[in-house]
Amino acid sequence: MVNFIWDNIFKRSERGRDLLHILGENYLFETLTKAELKFVKEMVHVRNYRPGEVVFRQGEIGVGMYLIASGSIDILVEDIPADKPEKQTVFVTRLGVGDFFGELSLVEENGRRTATAVTSVETTLIGFFKPDLIEIVERNPSTGVKIVTRLAEVLGKRLKETTVKVTELKREMRRQMEKP
Amino acid sequence: MAVNSPASREQILRRQSLIRLGAFLSVLALALLIVVKVENMLVSCLLSFVFSYLIGPLVNYLERRGVDRVLATTTLFVTIGVLLGLTIYLTLPMLVERVQIMQTDLPKYMAGITRLVESLQVKMRFLQGIGVDIDVSDLIQERVMPATEQVFGALPQIFKKLFTVLLLAPFLAFFMIKDGRHFSRTLLALVPNNLFELTYNIYHQINDQMGQFVRARLMEAAIVGFVTWLGLWMISFPFAEVLAAFAAITNLIPYVGPVIGTIPAVLIAMVNGASAVEMSLVLLVYFVAQLIDAAFIIPVVVAKIVDLHPVTVIVVIIIGAQVMGVLGMLISIPVASALKVTIGTVFRYLTDYRV
Repeated sequence: MVNFIWDNIFKRSERGRDLLHILGENYLFETLTKAELKFVKEMVHVRNYRPGEVVFRQGEIGVGMYLIASGSIDILVEDIPADKPEKQTVFVTRLGVGDFFGELSLVEENGRRTATAVTSVETTLIGFFKPDLIEIVERNPSTGVKIVTRLAEVLGKRLKETTVKVTELKREMRRQMEKP
Repeated sequence: MAVNSPASREQILRRQSLIRLGAFLSVLALALLIVVKVENMLVSCLLSFVFSYLIGPLVNYLERRGVDRVLATTTLFVTIGVLLGLTIYLTLPMLVERVQIMQTDLPKYMAGITRLVESLQVKMRFLQGIGVDIDVSDLIQERVMPATEQVFGALPQIFKKLFTVLLLAPFLAFFMIKDGRHFSRTLLALVPNNLFELTYNIYHQINDQMGQFVRARLMEAAIVGFVTWLGLWMISFPFAEVLAAFAAITNLIPYVGPVIGTIPAVLIAMVNGASAVEMSLVLLVYFVAQLIDAAFIIPVVVAKIVDLHPVTVIVVIIIGAQVMGVLGMLISIPVASALKVTIGTVFRYLTDYRV
C-alpha cells in the first residue's frame, strides 16, 4: 500500500517534470524562465491518442496547436487531382517527439485546418490553444510577449519557406510551358 | 476480425470516445442536479458566477502587476468583504427602519390602492353592459393583501436564506477564481479527443460572453439605479433608496423590468394623492433613467454582447418566468445566449466544412 502511494506520487511529479522539460525544449517556450514555464504548464492540455486516431481534420475550425510529447503524427492532405474525380489523400510528412503543428490557428480567427493530422502510434500531445495564449497575455504579459514573438518568428519562417517553394514552382511551370 | 485491422481499431476508438463522452455528460448532469436540487445552491452558484466575473478581471490586473494569484484573490475578497461589512453595518439600521415603515404603512397603501381601483371600477361600469364584470377591489382584498402580508411574514426566512447564499456565494467565487482553470481543465480532460477542440471553443466563447454580459448588465443596473435615486431624491420622493434599488434590480429583466420597476413609485404617488405635476415628475425621473439606459448604455455596452432579436428576448423571458419565476426572468437571457453560441458553433462545425 505504502509502495503504491509513493509510486503514484513519484509518477505524478515525474510526469509534471517531464511536461516542464518538454515545454522548455520547445522553440516557442525556449526563452521562458522556469517560473514562466510552470505558469504555461498550468495552461496546456495533455491529450493521449491511440494509433490511427485523428487529431484534427482538414477543413475543420482550428483552435490551437499541438506539441508532440511522445509518439508520432502523420500529416495528410486531401486533394482532388485534375485528372481524377475522387479525393486523394496525400501523405505530406511524419512529425516526431518535440515537433509541433497547427500553430497558425493561434493567430487566425476561425481559421480552417489546412491538413489532417493522424497519430501513427500511441501518442501523447500537449495542446496549446488560442484561449490559453490570450489568458497568458492577460495574466502575465511578459511571458505572453515572449511566446508571441517566438510564434511570429515561426510563422515568418514558414511564410519564407512557402514563398521560396511557390517561386520554385512558378519557375518550374514557366519552364514546362516554354518547352516546345 | 483482426485486432489491429483498421475496422476494429475504428470500433475501439468509437467505443472509447463514447465512454468518455458519457463520463463527461454524466459529470455535467450530476453537477446540474446538485445545483438545482440542493437548497440555496442554484442562487449561490449564480451569484458566485457574478462575483467571479466581477472580481476576476481585478485579480488578473493584480497578477499582471506581479502579485501572486492566491494573494491577489485573498486580498480582494478580504477588502471587498470588509467594505461590504462596513456598508451593511452602517446602513442596516436605516434599511430596517425603512422596511418597518413600509410594513406599518402597507395597510394604508393597500387601502389607498383599493380606493383607487374602486373609483376606476365605477368609471368602467359601462363594461358590465357588454358582459364583463370583474370586481378588482375584492380581488385585491382577497388575493394581493394576504400575499403581501405573507411576504412580510416570510421576511425572517428570506433573510436566513439570503444569509446562507451570501456566505456560500463568495466562498464558491473565491475557489472559482483561484482554481477555476484547474476545475475546467479536469472536466475538459474527460471530453473525447475528436470533440475536444469544439468543446473547448464553445466553453471559451460562452465564458467570455457571460463575463462581458454580467459586467455590462450590472453596470447598466447600477447607472439606472443611481439616476433613479438622484431624480427621486431631488423631488423629495419617499423611499427613494428602496425604489432606486428596486428599479436597478428589475432593470436586469429586459423590456418588462423597467415597467415593473416604475409601478411601486407610481402606486405610492397615487396613494399619496400626488398632483398631475408631481406624478409627471416621478414618471420623468424613470423616463430619464431609461432614456440614458437606451441611448447610451445599451448601444455602447450591452447590445454588442448579446445579439438576440427582441421577439426572442420576450419569448425567452416568458419561458424563464414560467419555469423559474423571477429568477428565471433574470437568467433567461444569458442562458439563451449561451445556447445560441453552443448551437451556432456546433452547427458551423457540422455543416460549414470547407477544404
